[in-house]
Amino acid sequence: MSSDKKLTVKRLVIFLVLAFLPFCIIVPVMWSYFGEPIYASENPDTAVANYCVSVFGMMVPSIAHLLTRLITKEGFKNTYLGLNTKGKMGYYAASVIVPLAYSSLSAVLVWAIFMSGSGFGDTFNNFNMQSIGLFLLQFAYSLIVFFPAFGEEWGWRGYMMPKLMELMPKPAAVIVGGIIWGLWHAPLTVAGHNFGVVYPGYPFVGIGLMCLLCTAMNAFMTLLTEKTKSIYPAAFVHAINNNLSMGVMFTFFSNEESMMKLGGLSAVEMFFPYIGVLAVIFIGSMILLMKKEA
Amino acid sequence: MSGLLYKNFCINRSSMIFTLVTAILCCLTLIFAALFGFTLRGVTPSPEEVPSLLTACSACYFLAFWLPSMASSTLFQADENKTCCAFAMSLPQGAKGHVEAKYYYILIQALGILFITFINDTILTAMLGGTVSTTAVLPFLFSLHLFLAAVEIPFMIRFGADRGLQIKGGVVLAVFAMAALYFLFGDISWFIENEDDPLGAFMAWLGSGDIIFWLSLFPYISIAAYYISCKISVKIYRKGAESYEQ
Repeated sequence: MSSDKKLTVKRLVIFLVLAFLPFCIIVPVMWSYFGEPIYASENPDTAVANYCVSVFGMMVPSIAHLLTRLITKEGFKNTYLGLNTKGKMGYYAASVIVPLAYSSLSAVLVWAIFMSGSGFGDTFNNFNMQSIGLFLLQFAYSLIVFFPAFGEEWGWRGYMMPKLMELMPKPAAVIVGGIIWGLWHAPLTVAGHNFGVVYPGYPFVGIGLMCLLCTAMNAFMTLLTEKTKSIYPAAFVHAINNNLSMGVMFTFFSNEESMMKLGGLSAVEMFFPYIGVLAVIFIGSMILLMKKEA
Repeated sequence: MSGLLYKNFCINRSSMIFTLVTAILCCLTLIFAALFGFTLRGVTPSPEEVPSLLTACSACYFLAFWLPSMASSTLFQADENKTCCAFAMSLPQGAKGHVEAKYYYILIQALGILFITFINDTILTAMLGGTVSTTAVLPFLFSLHLFLAAVEIPFMIRFGADRGLQIKGGVVLAVFAMAALYFLFGDISWFIENEDDPLGAFMAWLGSGDIIFWLSLFPYISIAAYYISCKISVKIYRKGAESYEQ
């Protein structure tokens, strides 16, 4: 291994240790303090703690990025902090349209698979000025969610992915990066984040599904970051993805009966239509990523 | 663009520090109030106290966004002479880059305040046991900041910072007066159906869900206005520069 690659590996290891450590400490401490898995608890104090852990926890990869550059005296070149919009506006538009499209499409798939008994128009019959207004307000709230999303993206796409791509071919880097990103969520997944604690194969199935989800999303986000040489499109995708999930689409546009049916489904069941849509995005992104390489 | 932005940050260092200090002070006021009022006493706000706390938080965040806009004229005053304008227009980016850099500067400033207030609100939510959260108000304050800047900047670029603000004030006042006259004496049947009891009809409209739709448009209108304002300012910059003193 050349000395350049050795240095890259060293920097990557320092970054990953700094990024992984906080959740590995905070989540078990909170679990023992509250006496239950924090993301599956109905205790209102836990809900507040979860919110704070999510907001500040998402900023950890950025702090790890910053610290790694300082510790290893790497300097601040190639930070991906520029906008680079010239000729790249299509990618910026895609960073807003694609997450909205896949959230909507996965909501339609959830209806098609689990609620086919009732017609589409009967399920999504709540299209009035109020619900559209609420949806637009929630979309505007992405501006706030952008900050924690940026916190993750500047670490993962802004530091980890370029380092991984120095060490291996792009497709392999996307898969390895996605798995690392999924594993970073593991302490949260064990504590009930996204999937709860009651599902077959807890917690390993949840961790595996999270790795799958992160790999699929990583392909699209890496594509946007590499094409624009900017971290902002990936942060937009992350913000909209977290802010406007398919559950949110149901909340605004479907009726009460559909919400009851949705409540009866487990998070793992709802995950499959979602990952189905993301798989298409993953394949498309990988083709576009490799196209440049060829 | 990054060079022009850097120049703006350098020549406006004191106003940038003023912005950050005011935003942090507004936020610290809330933190100390929550600390001494509730956290140290080991209590959380009662349901009766929550509305007044929400109002106090919103007011402090409003100040955090509004106070820096008081110093916005300094951003333009620094370059307000023929020598600077001639230099700006001779650069590869030209007048476009010079004006866009000002818009980016204000946007970054507003995003900085939004970040500070968001972090403060998260801490406050934790301190008050989740009973008080005004995070949903922040995008509106941010949008308002952008909207006001979108209205103000073209005037400052065309007529100079001081005269521009006076003319803007006059124009805004005239628009408000005309709107008030229209609502007093004009045909408002398209807006309020029951003209016999316009106040009652207006209150009923406020109570209906439809207002949410019109409110939700504000952030998008602000962003569009900011973008259009930038395009207008680029166009009128040369004309404004001719009126500046040597």
